[in-house]
Amino acid sequence: MTASDLCFLTVAEAASLIAAKQLSPVELTHAYLNRIESLNGTLHAYVRILHDEAITAAEKAAAEIATGHYRGPLHGIPIALKDIYDTAGVPTEGGSKICLDRVPTSDATTTRLLKEAGAILLGKLTTWEFAIGGPAFDTPFPPARNPWNTDRDPAGSSSGSGAAVAAGLCAAAMGSDTGGSIRWPAAWCGLAGLKPTYGRVSRAGIMPLSFSLDHAGPLTWTVQDAAIVLQAIAGYDPRDPASADLPVPDYRAALAPAELKGVRLAVARSIFERDCVASDETRAACDAAGEVLRGLGASVTEIELPPLALYNAAAYLIARSEGFAVHEKSLRERPQDYGALARDRLMIGAYIRASDMVQAMRQRRILIEATTTAMNGIDAILLPTTPDPAPPLGELDAYFSGERPPYMRPFNLTGQPALSLCNGFDRAGLPLSLQIVGRCFDEATLLRIGYAYERATSWRDRRPPVR
Amino acid sequence: MAKRIEDQFAADTELLGLKLLSGQESSLLAAYGALREMVKTMGADYPFEAEPAHVFLPLGAAEHRS
Repeated sequence: MTASDLCFLTVAEAASLIAAKQLSPVELTHAYLNRIESLNGTLHAYVRILHDEAITAAEKAAAEIATGHYRGPLHGIPIALKDIYDTAGVPTEGGSKICLDRVPTSDATTTRLLKEAGAILLGKLTTWEFAIGGPAFDTPFPPARNPWNTDRDPAGSSSGSGAAVAAGLCAAAMGSDTGGSIRWPAAWCGLAGLKPTYGRVSRAGIMPLSFSLDHAGPLTWTVQDAAIVLQAIAGYDPRDPASADLPVPDYRAALAPAELKGVRLAVARSIFERDCVASDETRAACDAAGEVLRGLGASVTEIELPPLALYNAAAYLIARSEGFAVHEKSLRERPQDYGALARDRLMIGAYIRASDMVQAMRQRRILIEATTTAMNGIDAILLPTTPDPAPPLGELDAYFSGERPPYMRPFNLTGQPALSLCNGFDRAGLPLSLQIVGRCFDEATLLRIGYAYERATSWRDRRPPVR
Repeated sequence: MAKRIEDQFAADTELLGLKLLSGQESSLLAAYGALREMVKTMGADYPFEAEPAHVFLPLGAAEHRS
């Protein structure tokens, strides 16, 4: 196996080899570090590479495993974190001049849990400025590029996370999702991206953007790998006031059934054929996915959800209000130190009246209840993640005015778990996406559906052309 | 007569005490236009008793959950 081959092992594959002592974490870590060195100048996926620290951690993992202290499937696996995850002693700058040289004194809860599981931290990944302002060309950090076509946008705000996993620059990455920022780069970079239920994974020690919409979760090459990472990070955390004190199931065990008999799915056609019409290829791919899932034994019906514009308006007003509250002091004192996109997208929150925010929270409750009612008798919703594949870098709608909104925000508003999967490729070879949305705290069913779908299709056989 | 959006934006900016950078006014005005559309979509016609969503738990609730 060549060093490049090592970088394209899934987490599960690498873990099996490490557990069997057929692969050393040190060898694996060196392979990733070499690949990062060769490709990061093109992709800008990493803002900070922890070369020496990673080698030291890999040597420690190798020694532990050699002496029979194997911790589990993340032990010795090289991963990376979006640069809004606090890392003790390592700068966490949020992609912004505002936080240059900010060095946390403690780890985010998720950082700590991943380290305790034995993961090797390769470095910190490019983020849109404060997870909102991007892709930006006027901050100290150049925007990440899409490994499927480096002229294309990898999406954000977890842009480096998407680019790094797709290009084989880490085995798994962590992102955050306030309006889709895990699922969006997963969609445009052809990955599995899981936004867990609100409260399932701690946000403590992750830079906030919108307290009531922020979620933390993994981006991985496969659904099985997402299950492995989720297992390590899920659970109650008293440091996060929104954390849910509920039992954590065995997510890998939930993957076991190869067929989906008894699983009830429904396509949210009104969202992508009425409210914001997806591209022909995206719609055809979604229909084809429904047929594959039906062939695996699931029932596939249709579901009508409230208008996408209502979800998006409520989410927008809440996100912008909370975002401005987080950044008000800095925006007033150092506006020049923000990039133009982050500055405008955050500052606009100042113009939202308190009563508009309350109306949005009233609408939020109505939408949660309507979505829950519509899902009666349904285990999961199917729809694309985005209406289109990745556009050229720099062509995104600067103000998210809603002309072609992606299909992710509704589930930040409702807090439901949502999984984005690769759903084939368009004529230009860019990934298409499928989103599976479940009931709160039922990530296991989403992972089961996604895993079965991945195994029934060949989308995981193709890798980005970047070398 | 309804105020032009530019006038409303200028009045709101002054009221909020925001100092805009050179060149920021036009970009923020565009965002302001999008925001006003979102507010219109959200509306204000809710039943008197319609309670907002509550995301956070009451203080101490975590200790009492099994």
